[in-house]
Amino acid sequence: MLIDVVMPQLGESVVEGVVVKWLVEVGELVAKDHPLLEISTDKVDAEIPSPSAGRVAQILVKPGETVPIHAVLAKLETDPAADRPAPEEPPKWDEETEGAPGHMARSSGPPIPAPPRIEPSAPAPPPPPETGRVRITPVVARMAAEHGLDLSKIPGTGVDGRVTRKDVEAHLASGGASAAVPPKAEAVPGPAPPSSKAAPSSAKAPEGKPVTAKAPVAKPSAAKGDQVIPWTPIRKRIADHMVRSKQTSPHVHIFAEVDMHKVAAVRAKAKKEGVNLTYLPFVICSAAKALRETPLMNATVSGESTVLKKDIHIAVAVDTEKGLLVPVLRHADRMSLKEISAAMDDFGARAKSGKISPDELSGGTFSITNPGIKGNLFGTPIINQPQVGILRLGQIVKRPVVIDVDGEDSIVIRPMMYLGCAYDHRVIDGVAGNGFLYRVREILEAGDFP
Amino acid sequence: MLVTYIEAIRQAMDEELARDKNVLLMGEDVGVLGGAFKASAGLQEKHGADRVVDMPISESLIVGAGVGLAVQGMRPILEMQFIDFITCGFDQIVNMAATLRYRHGGQTACPIVVRGPSGGGVHGGLYHSQNPEAWFCHVPGLKVVAPATAYDAKGLLKSAIRDDDPVIYFEHKFLYRRIKEEIPAEEYLVPIGKAALRKEGRDITVITYGSPVHAVVKAARDMAAEVDIEVIDLRTLLPIDWATVKGSVRKTGKVLIVHEARLTGGVGGEVAARIAQDCFEELDGPVMRLAARDVHTPFAPAMEDYVLPNQEKITEAIRKLAAY
Repeated sequence: MLIDVVMPQLGESVVEGVVVKWLVEVGELVAKDHPLLEISTDKVDAEIPSPSAGRVAQILVKPGETVPIHAVLAKLETDPAADRPAPEEPPKWDEETEGAPGHMARSSGPPIPAPPRIEPSAPAPPPPPETGRVRITPVVARMAAEHGLDLSKIPGTGVDGRVTRKDVEAHLASGGASAAVPPKAEAVPGPAPPSSKAAPSSAKAPEGKPVTAKAPVAKPSAAKGDQVIPWTPIRKRIADHMVRSKQTSPHVHIFAEVDMHKVAAVRAKAKKEGVNLTYLPFVICSAAKALRETPLMNATVSGESTVLKKDIHIAVAVDTEKGLLVPVLRHADRMSLKEISAAMDDFGARAKSGKISPDELSGGTFSITNPGIKGNLFGTPIINQPQVGILRLGQIVKRPVVIDVDGEDSIVIRPMMYLGCAYDHRVIDGVAGNGFLYRVREILEAGDFP
Repeated sequence: MLVTYIEAIRQAMDEELARDKNVLLMGEDVGVLGGAFKASAGLQEKHGADRVVDMPISESLIVGAGVGLAVQGMRPILEMQFIDFITCGFDQIVNMAATLRYRHGGQTACPIVVRGPSGGGVHGGLYHSQNPEAWFCHVPGLKVVAPATAYDAKGLLKSAIRDDDPVIYFEHKFLYRRIKEEIPAEEYLVPIGKAALRKEGRDITVITYGSPVHAVVKAARDMAAEVDIEVIDLRTLLPIDWATVKGSVRKTGKVLIVHEARLTGGVGGEVAARIAQDCFEELDGPVMRLAARDVHTPFAPAMEDYVLPNQEKITEAIRKLAAY
């Protein structure tokens, strides 16, 4: 019987996906749940398992094609043996195994047929020896799939040169898989580009040639000893998004120097109460408040319109093994500092274990990126399209600053932070953009976090 | 208080005899003699000959009488003088005690404890060295425990006595007087069905129980410089604490199972199979087992050493797995 392999729904908001590659060929026998193909959607990459055991009869979609959910991807000829009707012949008494009929009245029903005698078929010839085969372990297979690694490039230290978990971990730690672990980006990867209808200008460079990101993929040139890391679907998506954002939005970058001493005091007080707070929740909390007062910053661009968003959903970059993830804090303006902190801890933990659902990664109206303690003085973040603004935390450093004490200029030591902000000059003018960042600074410096 | 493993067992029985008048101790020489190993020393004197009862040399009778008493609401502790002779009571345990609750549609229970000295390493020869726990792990309706420390010996025996189902309690005679341990003066219980983490580690999980726990922990400490070993003491063999086992396997990806019972058909096979099935994608090496060789336990000390697992063999197995 021919059955359909259909494109599943991966996350509530996902409506289509791109076939990355087929893992089977027409005519191949597959077991139930055997991975048939890899697909990539806006939110997740996934292998589609075979719905049944059988033979691949037809492959209907080529790699690179975009297909809607529920579309038929392939046809599978299910195991003919499973479909065969039961033998017509009535069961026979097997004297050898059951004794003479009638002598053992087990039940009044018909005798139970003995299992059929099957002659063992000749053993299949052994497969031809494979040369250059990589020896691995199950966990290594899983990690390789997760990180898109080419295992033949990883030296194995186990018995017989087997690649072990430690080898993969060492490879990842040494940056060998920058395809899998992107360096901290200055902005956050957003959703994949919308259809060309929404952003026709982004598909072409000014002179009408295809832009780099869209150019046909050339064979990478590499000298002997160089390492070639093909882009994973996630890396490619990040790359496309960065190029598109830079081409779409004229970025204006501004910086505020924020005195964080009151925030530091709140942190110290919380720590005494046993609550560990990082600086990030304070910035999220302040930004949410300032966004409520500056609706233009909490907006998206749609065609030739600006959409001021009613709700404040802040996307926050979280670094994970697989790359940057940007979960969204919904209604951040309605959350207390502690709630934001708890939500971020939860995202961080779940991001590491890969348990963030696609729907939690969508719907942001503004973004914040925090490169962490090694984030340097300041940076110029790239806007997460189709949003219009993004904040970036700089390193917090103690500096001598001049303040007014009872009318006298005095020098004191304060923890200072450069807070970077990018806004889309198509939509936001200097007054609104600067007003917003100034307000965030005011809220942080007031240190009033209930 | 500092106690030996066997003193912990004696205390558990003493406390439960005092706590609940339905608790009885029955077995060969448990009364006047105080037990062949003195596990019940002084208990008949203290609790009376009708509660600490000397029985004829018939394990079938001891268990059978215990099942009958249990049905009537008593909580008998049934001592096998050596656990090797539990086979004589096998039918009463497997066909009677284990099935009682099922046969009565859940309306009756069988709160017996069958306990006795198991294990080798004491040059006891083939009738006084066996580890027959796997036979009972195959039977639904039973619980099977095997403590490795004095603390667990006491806490698990008290839990077993209070449990409404038949519990087979394997104490290890090698440990009787070889380990001494501080245990709480106040009353405590060790829950049945919960494993203990004896040492935390990242590289390899060693799953064990009973006497080898000590050799494994020692090996793990001695090898700390070369490999970071996690040691899990199952404590209860039926039902096994799969959550703890799998949690550790997911962390380390490499597993060695060590028991003193023979390899083929041993508890380790069940543990290995479950791990292979449920944790396949976490494994970074084959699930390995170290157990007694598939022969009877010899009397001659050198031959017994050759047959049973020891620290040297454990170390060797860990190295092999670590290198994989």
